[in-house]
Amino acid sequence: MKKIMIVEDEKTLCSELVTLLKNNNYEPIVLSNFNNTASEILASNSDLVLLDINIPYVNGEIVLQELRKTSNIPVIMVTSRNSDIDEALSISYGADDYITKPFNSNILLLRIGAVLKRSNNETNTLTYKDVSINIGKGLLKKGDIEITLTKNEMIIFSYLLNHQDRLVTRDELMTDLWNNDEFINDNALTVNISRLRAKLKTIGYEDAIDTRKGMGYILS
Amino acid sequence: MNFLKYLKDKLYMIILTSISFLIITLTLLAFKVDKSVIIAIFLILFVLFSIIFLTEYFRKKRFYTELLTNVDLLDKSYLVLETLYKPEFYEGKILYQALYEINKSMNENVNNIKNQWQDFKEYIEMWIHEVKIPLATLSLISNNHKNRVDKKMQTHIKRLEDYVDQVLYYARSENASQDYLIKEVNLNVVIKNVGIRNMDDLLENKIDFLTNNINVQILTDAKWLEFILNQLINNSIKYKRNIKNSFIKITVKEEKEKTVIVVEDNGMGIKETDLKQVFNKSFTGENGRIKSKSTGMGLFIAKNMCEKLGHKIAIESVYSKYTKVFITISKDAYYDILK
Repeated sequence: MKKIMIVEDEKTLCSELVTLLKNNNYEPIVLSNFNNTASEILASNSDLVLLDINIPYVNGEIVLQELRKTSNIPVIMVTSRNSDIDEALSISYGADDYITKPFNSNILLLRIGAVLKRSNNETNTLTYKDVSINIGKGLLKKGDIEITLTKNEMIIFSYLLNHQDRLVTRDELMTDLWNNDEFINDNALTVNISRLRAKLKTIGYEDAIDTRKGMGYILS
Repeated sequence: MNFLKYLKDKLYMIILTSISFLIITLTLLAFKVDKSVIIAIFLILFVLFSIIFLTEYFRKKRFYTELLTNVDLLDKSYLVLETLYKPEFYEGKILYQALYEINKSMNENVNNIKNQWQDFKEYIEMWIHEVKIPLATLSLISNNHKNRVDKKMQTHIKRLEDYVDQVLYYARSENASQDYLIKEVNLNVVIKNVGIRNMDDLLENKIDFLTNNINVQILTDAKWLEFILNQLINNSIKYKRNIKNSFIKITVKEEKEKTVIVVEDNGMGIKETDLKQVFNKSFTGENGRIKSKSTGMGLFIAKNMCEKLGHKIAIESVYSKYTKVFITISKDAYYDILK
């Protein structure tokens, strides 16, 4: 499980972030002492930091500069300051991403996922059981059989695959699709899922995607 | 300075002088002075009087004519004092000094108001940052404990966010200081952010969100443009028609010197009589009366912001057919904006 350090002095917000991250299979660590923020972050050995700009003692940008002197740990700035100038400044200090409050939780999770993926140099190839998947080319390969997925189908399939151990809501799938510039509607999502099912059937995984009515989907 | 009006103003002098001429002439006649002497005295007095009168006129004419034409020519007429010579005659000096004092006190007044507005703006910005924290918390809470009711809560939290943003950008766009940063921005990213922000509303209202050719680089402030587009999308959602295939379509027309972003919907449209006024402050019009939630501020702020960024915004609509909003962004206007 990836460790995520939360640097946020607003207690309720912080505890809700903890819940959100736990629900999504991350291990959140909360920074309680803001005296030595930068060294505490380094000592925690986290995989990613969610860093608020307005924190006690020193502001988040200074902490970020201090971190960058010694470490490449991925940092997402989380702030209620929403001007382009603030964003440009944070990025120039070496932040990996910048997200403004109030944020859409699905988007926050997608951003966390993307930053972690980039920092780990994860390859473009995933596997599902004995099927190898090439996301870039949209190819599923089982033995000699090859099937192609459309962009939408691939986004849906890889999202389900990345969250294989839990229920995925339609809302999450929709957000990921829109985040990839596929602004589709509810009907189109249903159609895409049934097409994906049909394609999986041709390689022998007929019931791979299970529908939980009114809740979402789960890849078994 | 008009000579005839000046003459009229000095009529009392002319009358008094004429009377004194008359008295002098009569006195001379009574003393039986020779007629030719009387005529000579009369002529000398007349010439002298005319010289005094005209000198006086031309001394004043120079100052007042300059004052009036400069007031007329300057677009900021309160600066007129800086363009004038200090007059030599007494009345002019009084006027000049009075104008100076008036200017000074008005400047102090304007400065006070500027400072008050700046303080207020800073307070608003701070307040908005503060209020966003509980909003973020609320949004997370409702997301973490999902059920039917919470979906509605999300919608209302989103509405709150939009209203809060409107205040922020109103304060920013009305301010003289520069709160934006023009740089090269990928329009695709801006539209994606706006799309995701309104995703729930669009899906719930069954409005298709269509885009075409939006992967272009433009010179703008991403956050400002995002706010402007968000206003347009909000309006399109608010004023949709109850028809089957509602849509909002964003397309881009690339021209040699400019990029035009077109936001089109097939909603209620705007009546022709209202169309000219939609960018006016607090204008709600026919549609606003139907939907009571209009503030009439959205498009006004959007236009203000476009002007600051150096973009142009225009609207075209046919009632109960469609509305199209065009945002024109110049490609080389970078230096125009920096001016």
